[in-house]
Amino acid sequence: MDVFLQTLVAGILKGGLYSLIGIGMSLIMGVMGIINLAHGQLMMVAMYITFALHHFLGIDPYISLFIAMPALFLLGALIQKYTLNPLLEVESILPENQVLMTVGIGMVLTEIARFIFSSDYKSVKTSYSNATFFIGEISFSIALVIAFFIAVGFTLLMFWFLLKTDIGRSIRATAQDKDAALLMGVNSKRITTITFGLGSALVAAAGTLLIPIYYLFPDIGGPFTRKAFVITILGGLGSTVGAIFGGVTLGLAESFGATYIGMAYDDMIGLIIFILVLLFLPGGFKRLTKV
Amino acid sequence: MKKYTPYILLFVLIIFPLVVRNSYYQHLMILVLIWVVIGSGWNIIPGYTGQVSFGDAAFFGTGAYTAGLFASKLGMSAWWGMAFGGFAAMAIAFPFGWICFRLRGAYFALASLALNEVCRHVATVWESLTNGMVGILVMPTFVSKIPYYYVALSLAVFSIIFIQSVMKSRWGYYFLSIREDQDAAESLGIDTHYYKMISLNIAAFLTGITGSLFMNYMGFIDPEVVFSLHDISIMAILVGIVGGVGTIYGPVVGAFVMVAVHEFFRTGFLGFFKTLASVTGSDFVNTVAKYVSQAHVLGFGILVVLVILYLPNGIVGDWDKIIGIFTRFKRKGESS
Amino acid sequence: MQKYFRKLFVPAVAFTMAGLLFSCGKKADEGNKIKVGIVLPLTGKLAKFGEIEKKSFLMAVDEINAAGGVKGKKIDLIIEDTTGKPDVGRSAIEKLITQDKVVIVGGGYSSSVTWATIAVAQKQRVPFLVNTGSADKITEQGWEYIFRLNPPVSEYPSALASFLKTVAKDVKRVAILHENSLFGQSGSKKFEKQCKKLGLNVILKEGYESGAVDFKPLLVKVKSKNPDMIYMISYVMDASLLMRQSKELNLNPKLFVGGAAGFTLPEFQKNAGDATEYVFSATLWTPSVPYAGAKEYYDKFMKKYNSPTEYHGAEAYAAMYVIADALKRAKALTPKDVRDSLAATNLKTVFGPVKFISYGKKTQQNKLPTFLVQWQKGKLETVWPKEVSTKPYQYPTPSWNKRK
Repeated sequence: MDVFLQTLVAGILKGGLYSLIGIGMSLIMGVMGIINLAHGQLMMVAMYITFALHHFLGIDPYISLFIAMPALFLLGALIQKYTLNPLLEVESILPENQVLMTVGIGMVLTEIARFIFSSDYKSVKTSYSNATFFIGEISFSIALVIAFFIAVGFTLLMFWFLLKTDIGRSIRATAQDKDAALLMGVNSKRITTITFGLGSALVAAAGTLLIPIYYLFPDIGGPFTRKAFVITILGGLGSTVGAIFGGVTLGLAESFGATYIGMAYDDMIGLIIFILVLLFLPGGFKRLTKV
Repeated sequence: MKKYTPYILLFVLIIFPLVVRNSYYQHLMILVLIWVVIGSGWNIIPGYTGQVSFGDAAFFGTGAYTAGLFASKLGMSAWWGMAFGGFAAMAIAFPFGWICFRLRGAYFALASLALNEVCRHVATVWESLTNGMVGILVMPTFVSKIPYYYVALSLAVFSIIFIQSVMKSRWGYYFLSIREDQDAAESLGIDTHYYKMISLNIAAFLTGITGSLFMNYMGFIDPEVVFSLHDISIMAILVGIVGGVGTIYGPVVGAFVMVAVHEFFRTGFLGFFKTLASVTGSDFVNTVAKYVSQAHVLGFGILVVLVILYLPNGIVGDWDKIIGIFTRFKRKGESS
Repeated sequence: MQKYFRKLFVPAVAFTMAGLLFSCGKKADEGNKIKVGIVLPLTGKLAKFGEIEKKSFLMAVDEINAAGGVKGKKIDLIIEDTTGKPDVGRSAIEKLITQDKVVIVGGGYSSSVTWATIAVAQKQRVPFLVNTGSADKITEQGWEYIFRLNPPVSEYPSALASFLKTVAKDVKRVAILHENSLFGQSGSKKFEKQCKKLGLNVILKEGYESGAVDFKPLLVKVKSKNPDMIYMISYVMDASLLMRQSKELNLNPKLFVGGAAGFTLPEFQKNAGDATEYVFSATLWTPSVPYAGAKEYYDKFMKKYNSPTEYHGAEAYAAMYVIADALKRAKALTPKDVRDSLAATNLKTVFGPVKFISYGKKTQQNKLPTFLVQWQKGKLETVWPKEVSTKPYQYPTPSWNKRK
């Protein structure tokens, strides 16, 4: 029983972080209809910012949230404005050239990080990195619990933002029907720029929350990009609630897979769920819940 | 003049190893030829049927492992892989395409990426068959590079002629119609699913054979090497993009550029920086040299970003644009 | 635009030409140099250790040249980057042998690259001294131009076996966790066999993909099986997460043992902090091994580069001395003669005595003992074999909540 409960707790806590990674991707995919294959790499950049702030200035990762997120918002917006938006006007037989562009951007970001910080492993050690509390026999990592609640907080904030603000409404309109939104006077270029910025800021938050319990090196982005699109497909494009579902589902699937099938399969489990959902439940959870 | 270019190129390639006896350059040319086949194979799917595949390594690795398993499990020559590797890769491509071609655009790309990763995991975990990460070793058959060179060359020539003839046939027109507008093609009665399957299987077949050649040539494979998302699948895409998607000779140019850029950076601009550093003895130049030799991936990444932005049809596809780049720039300057 | 282009183009051409000229000009003094080629991963994922090895090679060659070189000639080290990929490694060694005409090649690092490069060396009949690639097969081919300085992966846990036999006799139930890499997969299999020989019960053996965020599900499973010893073959960051999360889960076996890969590096301690305390690890080399010059090498490295070195560096440093020794004894500076003198090597290095012998299926393989180290108060101490220990071992491991 303890094994089961501990696995459950581990899965849900990890799922909270995953959903934060997924929301950003979900927004970008929903609004622009492209996959951002540099998503994990953007997270990596945020992690390096957090690391540098901690290493040189001694700033706590939770405080760096307020620096890393705006910085990544800016980076994301610039990427969208100067590399992705111009592609809309480029005549090309190359399909999905925006997606392929994000691959190139991801490569460039990774290599720049390697230039500055070398391939060495870095980590940020804080007093709460290893702290735990126990409920019965079940252990909870404090850093992960905090990360989980911040992730949920951000998700609710995003939900509110998309529902209640003008920009949020425009984003949703663009996600639902680009042409119609354009006709209603939505400046689609501005919206996509803001969306990409927001998506980047959210994944920056995830990176910053992850770093106290994890570690960092330039190639860290790839696996998280993969997780992000699995979550997005699970949850449904453009859906914040869906991203939470997707994140927690992936977290649970990985945890239970690791405990009851074998840790070697945990990546595979995610990918197989992904293909199954893609084929049999296109649209993900969003289709079931309609939110 | 343009008509004869392929023949001149072919002639140069045939006599190349006889003239250049240095096995270092021969090795680089073999890599180029291998990438020509991989790039051409990849190019069929996005260039002619408008789907981007991120899963080329799945086919490449399957081909390589077919050759490896002939040697390690059956005790036969790994060259048998050349005969069967392509079909083994098709055996992966067939069910995958059957299931996943109902997905379009980005979703297909993601599914193929997932296929790549699943294959790598399977090869890693299934130790009793593949030896896992311990990998498979075969004895190289030839001492000289020349046999490998000509095998690679014939494979490259075969794949280009094959693709060219397919594109000139009825199939080719169907492929293009799918690329241009899938729904329109369907309404004209073209079985898009069927033709996409054909294009995927041709790609898988060519890539699989190349994988077998790679196994024979390199003598060692493990899942990280041949199922690598980054070093095979994405590189195949980049070769295609840089050279020019949807052109016959694009991958040829792309492969050459990729290997050249890689080698150029790796050796620090052909040893220039190293020499400069040892002549001047300055630490600064040394540091610069170190950064330059590390920059090959960065250089390639930047090249890709620039190509997608400014030469969206690649070097071959936008050749006229490159020729007229000066006037074009002027005009742009005036109009904006 | 055209002007702009010309402005860029002309210097670029001049640049390249100058480079070519320089490299031609240099040929003049090549007569008093002996060219030695080294292949290492200097970029890419493995760059960190490639860099340590490169520094060690350079340090050793500087010392050798400062002491007068070999046969009155200076050794000219040509280091090529493999980027950690076998095809690139092959480009690198082809260049070394055919362009630079080196008489001997060293380095290699990962097993896949090592394999691809030694195949070329063997075919071209140029001796290759492997100093890091640890796949058993490398010296099982009977290739007369290939030599290996480091022990193969199967021999890493031999010190642990004797420790289990003489000290930790009450260890009966063993859990093996390993990363799915060459090192992890073949090492865990060999260790499982060894456990059977020792009469130990392997209750769980599981692989994982390196880079996981959360090992708790795996560790919970381990905890529920209540093992006496956990043997982990992990790379440095996975190792530190495994230990941190074992602490978080209050997982208390009698013995935590790391396979040689990641548990002895300074980063492990830095990242996992006090969770590293009492952790044992099998290792080939630490600065405190009983070989002459080992400690001095460590100190010199620290002084020169202001960063710590570890066993890869020692392997490289020793390899350079073995190469220089072989060159010294060679009748003539041809690959064939260097190969013959390398085969007759009998040299004491910082990495232990080097002698290439044949045993079992292996040929031209150096045989070395391994050691057991333990983290004590944030420091790595050699604890086994007893004769060479720097501190007495601490066994059994106290449970997490009883510490301090």
